[in-house]
Amino acid sequence: MNEDKRVPCSGCSLLCDDIIVIEKDKSNYDIIGACLKGIQKFEQRNSKNRILSPYIRQNNELVKVEWDEAIKKTIKLIKGSLNPILYGFSTTSCETQLKAIKLAQKINGFIDSNSTICQGKVLNSAKKKGITTITLTEIINKSDVIILWGFNAVESIPRLLSKVLFSRGKFRLTGREIKTLIIIDTYKNASFKVLGTKDLALIVEPDKDIDLIKILKKICKNNIKLPNEGTAGIDKEDIKRFITYLLNSENIVIFIGQGLLKIQKDGNPLEKLLDLIDIINNKNKNGRISTVMMGGHYNMAGFEHIALSYIGKNQNIQFQNRKLIQTKMNIISKIKERDFDLSIIVGTDAISHFPSEISKILTSRPIILIDNRKSGTYFVADIVLPTAITGIESEGLAFRFDHVPIKLKKIMNPPNDIPNDEELLDKIISKLDKNNVNSD
Amino acid sequence: MEMLLNIVRMIDYDQAFEFTESEIESIGEKLAISFINSKDFKEMYLVPSLNLHLSNKYGDIIVKFKQNENLPKGIILMPVSIWSNQLTYTINGDIIYKNIKIQVEGTRDQITKFDDIIKNLKI
Repeated sequence: MNEDKRVPCSGCSLLCDDIIVIEKDKSNYDIIGACLKGIQKFEQRNSKNRILSPYIRQNNELVKVEWDEAIKKTIKLIKGSLNPILYGFSTTSCETQLKAIKLAQKINGFIDSNSTICQGKVLNSAKKKGITTITLTEIINKSDVIILWGFNAVESIPRLLSKVLFSRGKFRLTGREIKTLIIIDTYKNASFKVLGTKDLALIVEPDKDIDLIKILKKICKNNIKLPNEGTAGIDKEDIKRFITYLLNSENIVIFIGQGLLKIQKDGNPLEKLLDLIDIINNKNKNGRISTVMMGGHYNMAGFEHIALSYIGKNQNIQFQNRKLIQTKMNIISKIKERDFDLSIIVGTDAISHFPSEISKILTSRPIILIDNRKSGTYFVADIVLPTAITGIESEGLAFRFDHVPIKLKKIMNPPNDIPNDEELLDKIISKLDKNNVNSD
Repeated sequence: MEMLLNIVRMIDYDQAFEFTESEIESIGEKLAISFINSKDFKEMYLVPSLNLHLSNKYGDIIVKFKQNENLPKGIILMPVSIWSNQLTYTINGDIIYKNIKIQVEGTRDQITKFDDIIKNLKI
């Protein structure tokens, strides 16, 4: 085991770097400081759903096979494919993400990450207008108002509020007392239990966030009067208080969750929110509003950085003749229109995350799954290739939710000499190269 | 009864499965579950021993339910899972996870088994 016992946790995108690991014996250790989600991540190493051998589907049953046979079959499937898709990568290292993009380029595939159906939507909305971002350290040191919009921090990123709300920062020495929490959601989620007397709970009617944003825009821009009946199910007095905070605070941070990603009747609430932030930031000379995109998987932000720096595009990457070509399709429309003949899924459970209409089409073509645990996708895959758990059994780089890179550490060796994701993709690429040389 | 389904992250349910839960029999215990308001519970004449049949034009499932006082009337919650995704759909390449119109009714039928969902997918 590595002597340095303080390790980052890859349980979620907060990547807490204050976890203490104390070794009990060769395969067991005590974890100190991790949340429930983090502890489960560390326990995954010895969990029953761990995949420890490669499998191939034969007569509709997954049969355990040797690595050579599994790789041979994988190469055969890839070489026989004219239109492969690669998907996942939000729970893999940046090194793996880069290798996967190179593989997609080699096999003229389409590659996309989980971010495309999650926090990547915020980045797409920001392409026209721009976005003011902020780091975790800045939030701790400077923020006086924290807004959770469509985001249940307590159950998604469990230690987030202990770091940003209950902490004392350089310019916020009194800690929680000086910080205001505002939560906007369609129901009282678990995070509402954290609210204090001076905080604000705004229960918005379903799909009416955009109405609230529009009225805020009008008030901030043109100083119009608030309607007496309130807006979007929110009381007039609460909206008044909300506006007071928005216009008079020094450093506001808005955490954007899945609840705000859905297109609503009158448009895209994200675009309207970014407009509102722009108006307020221009008007408020004493402070600013920043946004943070909240994705749950520990390296969702990583794929955006790696893809953008390597190929110049962050999502929906289609290669043809080993060159990037423009496409309007994303992973969902690719599958829905049956524009693929093989899928390579890495480190995600697509079958459980996609609607059944999409999953049915996905399972109609061969699936190669690279993952370390059994999931819905495992039970429909044609080839299963197990890998080491990044952040426990292999090291690698990951981008925290605030787009700050954190180095994940290797604590222990993987069981059965399982390769890590990067090594496995490397092996597949080198076998494809070798086969090409032989066929020449 | 028509309700709005919201699919959300729940640390004691979907998040637990994400990393460590494994046995097929126990997956349903954690994930084939929904949460409704007590007023809806009374209005639908439900009793705790019943299950809920949730359906829309995209699919249908039978899941357990629990009452949650914090939910507004007409809203039903489910953790992210293969069960809840039987009712989700797509519009212009976007997956809709929030405020999905569904029909909800009590049933004595057993919860939809994981195996049956998988078999239905892999036709």
